[in-house]
Amino acid sequence: MSPELKERLRTPILTFLALQALLGTNVLLGIFFLGNRIWIVEVFIAAAMVAIVILFAMEALKDPPLTRLFAAIGFCWVAILFALTMVDYATR
Amino acid sequence: MPVNVGIKVEEQFESADQQRETAKLGMWAFLATELLLFSGLFLTALVTRVLHPDSVTAAALHLKFWIGATNTAILICSSLTMSVAIELSRMGRQRWMVRFMVLTAMIGIIFMMLKGYEYLEDYREHVMPFLPNYRYELAGDPASRLFIDLYFITTGLHALHLTVGICLMLVMAALASREGFLENHFNRIEIVGLYWHFIDLIWMIVFPTLYLLNR
Repeated sequence: MSPELKERLRTPILTFLALQALLGTNVLLGIFFLGNRIWIVEVFIAAAMVAIVILFAMEALKDPPLTRLFAAIGFCWVAILFALTMVDYATR
Repeated sequence: MPVNVGIKVEEQFESADQQRETAKLGMWAFLATELLLFSGLFLTALVTRVLHPDSVTAAALHLKFWIGATNTAILICSSLTMSVAIELSRMGRQRWMVRFMVLTAMIGIIFMMLKGYEYLEDYREHVMPFLPNYRYELAGDPASRLFIDLYFITTGLHALHLTVGICLMLVMAALASREGFLENHFNRIEIVGLYWHFIDLIWMIVFPTLYLLNR
């Protein structure tokens, strides 16, 4: 393997290892019941996995600002969707 | 043997960089609409959980947790092979790039086979409330049907997207194996890669939403 290829594969391999480790943690949390509030940790880990995929696998970090803005806006709409709906259900 | 990589600039673009960035921007805009499509389903799962917590827990315990977890690990592997294919395309290693693209599609097919097996087990365990004249295991708990139906809609929609992704990957691999592809269209591999990573990303949300959080 050439040094250039080694260098280029560093980020994908580290991303892969991080994602598998986080998945493993979530699976362990799912197997062993560790309390009613453990879902907060599970959601946080899932969010970290999504962030890793977007930033490193989908290379949003290297993209120009306009592309990053488009990527971020998608999640802003999702946040609005969840916030408005759950405010309704939480205050009934 | 590495080949030169580049982009054939279409007349409406000033440069190859502009064309490449525009293609990426277009794909991100499409993926944002896809994200909203799936988010409606994730939101429905959350509302169902808030309204019927006991029924959702009872239904979720019938899902195959280990198949869901294995499938997540499989898709993470496919993400790696896709990233490797993209890096190889940038280096002009056409032959190995095509091999990794085909490998990515194969891993996607393994995911689909496991998913099919999971559906078969659901059928055997009578966890398909939408089938007419077929006994439903949790018939005494009507609210559980909401969650099970949502599970099939969400995973079915994801499977449809993955099927499109596999076809796209194989077609692109066939096109990319032709002489001159990387010299003129190397950025198309990045675009297909974005779609593939997005399908993986959606599953990384589906797994905790349906299988994990409701246990």
